[in-house]
Amino acid sequence: MQNEKPSTGRARRRGNASAFCILHLAFCITVVSGTTALLAQAGPYERQRIDETAATRGRALYAQHCINCHGSTAKGSDRGPDLIRSAVVLRDRLGQGIGPAIAPSATHQAKLTGAQIIDLSHFLHQRVESIASNRNARAPIDVLTGDLEAGRAYFNGMGTCSTCHSTTGDLAGISTRISDPVVLQQRWLFPTLRRSGPREVEVVASGTRAAGALVRLDDFSVTLRDGSGEEQSFTRGPGVIVTVKDPLAAHHALLDRHTDDDMHNVTTFLWTLK
Amino acid sequence: MIGRVGRPPTRLRRFGATWGRFAVGQVGRALGAWGACLFAGLTLLAQSGVQPAALRPLGNSWPMYNGDYSGRRYSALTAIDTSNVSSLAQAWVFRPDAGTAPAGGGGSTSVLIKGTPVVVNGVLYVTIPDHVWAVDARTGRQIWHSTWPSKGGWHIANRGVAVLGNTVYVETPDCHLVALNIADGREKWRTEICDLEQFYYASAAPLIVGNHVITGVSGDDLDIPGYVEAHDPETGTRQWRWYTYPEPGTPEAKTWPNAEAAAHGGGMTWGSSTYDPELNLLYLGTGNPQPVINGRKRQGDNLFTESIVALNPDTGKLVWYFQPSPHDTHDWDATQTPVLIDGEIDGKPRKLLAQASRNGWFFVLDRTSGRNILSKEYVRTNWTKGLDRKGQPIPDPAKEPQTDGALVSPNQGGGQNWPPPSFSPRTGLFYANATRAFSVYYLYQNENDEKPQGWGGNDRGGWSEAMLQAIDYRTGAIAWSHKWADSPSVRSGLLSTAGNVLFAGDASSNFVAFDAAKGVPLWHERLHTSITNGPMTYSLENVQYVVVGAGDRLYAFSLKP
Repeated sequence: MQNEKPSTGRARRRGNASAFCILHLAFCITVVSGTTALLAQAGPYERQRIDETAATRGRALYAQHCINCHGSTAKGSDRGPDLIRSAVVLRDRLGQGIGPAIAPSATHQAKLTGAQIIDLSHFLHQRVESIASNRNARAPIDVLTGDLEAGRAYFNGMGTCSTCHSTTGDLAGISTRISDPVVLQQRWLFPTLRRSGPREVEVVASGTRAAGALVRLDDFSVTLRDGSGEEQSFTRGPGVIVTVKDPLAAHHALLDRHTDDDMHNVTTFLWTLK
Repeated sequence: MIGRVGRPPTRLRRFGATWGRFAVGQVGRALGAWGACLFAGLTLLAQSGVQPAALRPLGNSWPMYNGDYSGRRYSALTAIDTSNVSSLAQAWVFRPDAGTAPAGGGGSTSVLIKGTPVVVNGVLYVTIPDHVWAVDARTGRQIWHSTWPSKGGWHIANRGVAVLGNTVYVETPDCHLVALNIADGREKWRTEICDLEQFYYASAAPLIVGNHVITGVSGDDLDIPGYVEAHDPETGTRQWRWYTYPEPGTPEAKTWPNAEAAAHGGGMTWGSSTYDPELNLLYLGTGNPQPVINGRKRQGDNLFTESIVALNPDTGKLVWYFQPSPHDTHDWDATQTPVLIDGEIDGKPRKLLAQASRNGWFFVLDRTSGRNILSKEYVRTNWTKGLDRKGQPIPDPAKEPQTDGALVSPNQGGGQNWPPPSFSPRTGLFYANATRAFSVYYLYQNENDEKPQGWGGNDRGGWSEAMLQAIDYRTGAIAWSHKWADSPSVRSGLLSTAGNVLFAGDASSNFVAFDAAKGVPLWHERLHTSITNGPMTYSLENVQYVVVGAGDRLYAFSLKP
C-alpha cells in the first residue's frame, strides 16, 4: 500500500476514522431529508452507513436464501459468485443495486420485500466493510506459543536480559501490570524511553563539560537539561564531543540476535511472572 | 476542476499557446522526449529523433515529477556548488491556502506537500490532493489555484502534475485524470481512470510519453487489480490499459493458484515511471499483492506484483519484468523509482536500471533485457534465503507473518518508501534516504479462512534508525553512509547536482546540503517542520533555485547576491 502507500497503515486508519466520522454526520443529515441525495452520490466516503440492527436481520435472510450458493462468508462457492468482490454489491446503496440483481429468476427464487432487500444490503455492506478494514486486529492474538523453560534459559543466558533485569525486581508481576500478552511481547522487544527515562548526554567543548538529560539532538545541535533544571544548547562541530548514553541500546542491538523462537519463548516465560 | 483563484498573466498565455500547438501537434513516439524542447529549444527537438535528450542532465527547468525521464533527479546546474553552498539563503516561501473547500467527504483540507513541483517557463506547479497551484517560480507569488470537488477516495498524497503544451494534467483521489488550461487552471476535460466504488483512488503524477498521458492507480483495501493506462493528451480518451497480472495460459499465470486470485491480486501503480526514448520503453514498479498480509491462499510468486516492468508505451505490451519481492507478504511495494543509468559494467558501457526497493535490496538490471546484474542489500534485512537464478530474493517462509508474530526487518515502511532517490553520474553514486527497521508481523487467525481477503494481518510496533546511503551502482557497496542523529525514519527525497551537491532532509526539520562525493554536510537550514517531498532545482535569469516542501510550505533557496 502507499505508505502512506505511500503511508503507514496507522496513518491511513486515522484518515479513515476522521473521514468516517464526517461521513457519519453527513449521513445523519442526509437521512433526515430522505435517501435521494445519498443515492445520487457515489464513492467510498459516501458509502452506505451500516444499520447494525438491519444487518442482523439481513444476516438471517442471507442464511435462509443465499448461503447455499454464495457461501458462509459471502465469498462465493462453486454455485455462486463472491459477493464481497461483486461490483453490484459495491455500487449498491440501500438495495437499489442488489434489488434488481436478485429479482426472482431461475437462480434467485426468493421473493423478498423492499424492506428485506434493504436489510440484506446492510448485511452485505457490513461484510464488505469488515474485509476492507481487516488490517486491524479484531480478535486476541495468541503469542503464548513458546517454551517457558527455553525462555527462562534465554533470559538468563544468551539473551543477556538478566544482566539488566530481574524477575523478582523490576519485572516482578509484569504480566499483572500488562494485561495483554501481545502488548507484553511488543513492549519487551521495543521498549520506549517514556518508561526507561531520558537518555543521558555529555557534551565536551573547548575544555568545558556539560551533562544532563537529553532534550533534543540532531546533526547540528544538541540540547540538554542539567541538574539545576536549566536547558543548555550547543552547536555541534569540530571539537565538540557529544556522547549519548541510551538505556535502550542493548534492546536495539538484540533485535539482530533474537530468533522468532527466542521471541515466543521469552514472551511465554515473562507471562508467568504474575 | 473548478474554483480558480487568481488572474491569468498574459506571459503564461503566450508561452502556453505557442508551446502547446507545437508539442501536441507534432510530438510522436519517436519524439517522445517532450522535455527536450525545454532543455535545448525547438531545433534540438526537430533533430532529436531517437536521441535520448530527456536523459541528459537537467537544465533550467524541471518539467516532470522526476525532473527528466531518467528518474535520476540529477541537475546539470552548477551555480550552486560545494564551494558556495554555505551561502544559500531563503529566496521565498509559498504557503498554499486550500481555502474552505472540503476534503473528500467533508472536513477541511490540511496542506501537506508530498509531490514534487514541476517548473516550466518560469512557472511552478505544486499540488496536494484536489488542489493545484501555479506559482511564479521567481517570487513564490500565486498565479492561480484550481480545486476539485471530490467525491472521496484516500486523500493520502498527490505526487504532482504533468505538463504538455498548454495543458496541466493531474490525478484526483476520486479516480479522475483532469486536464487544466496552463494559463488559468480552468478545466479542459476530465476522464475517469479508476472505480471509486471498488475502493481505488489515484495519487500518482502522470507522465507524458510521446502522445500519451501515462497514469497509475492506487488502493489496497479490497482485492482489486492494478493497471497502467495511457490517455490521449488532447481528449483524455483511453489508448490502452495494462493489468499487472498475467493473461491466463501464459507461463506467468502459473505464479497464482488460479485466475481469480490473479485478477484480484493487487499490484498497484502508484510510484513514478521512467522512460528511455532510445529504447522506447516505459519503466515502472508495481505494488503489493492482495490479500496483503495473508498470502497463504495465493501460493506462488504472484506476478506481476512487486515487479519492475518494461512496457511499450505505444501499445501497453509487456516487454520484460524482474520481481524484487516474489510472493510478498509484508506490503513492500516495489514502486520506488526505477532509475535509468548510462554506466559501465566491467569496463563496457551499459544501459542500466537501478532500484533501491522497499524490501531493503538494491537491484541493477540491464534495462534493454531486464536481466539482473546486481542484487545487494542497501540496509541489513532478515527475510531472505538468498537469491534465485534470476537474481531475485527468495523469501524465507519463516519470516512470513505468523499468528504468534514474526520479527522482520525491514518493517512495513521498508528500507525506502515513496520519497524519491537520486543518482549522480558525476560521483557514480546512487543515493537513498534509507531506514533500517524491525517490527513484528502478525497473521490474524480469525481472517485465516479458506479465502482470505483484504489484509488479514499487519505489523506492529518496532524500532528504526535512518541513514543516507550512497551506493556504488557497479558493486552495490556503500561508498558512504550518513546516519541521521536521533532520526527513526525520514520522509525526504533527494536531489543531486553537477555542482557536486546532494540535498536531503532529516527527521529534525533540517534541510541539508552534502558534498555528494564525500558525504560531508556543508550547509543546513532548520525549517518549521521536516521535509515531506523531493527537493528540485531550476534556474531563471542565471539564478539557481532549490525548492523543497515541508508540511504546508514550499521553501525556495538561492545564493545570497
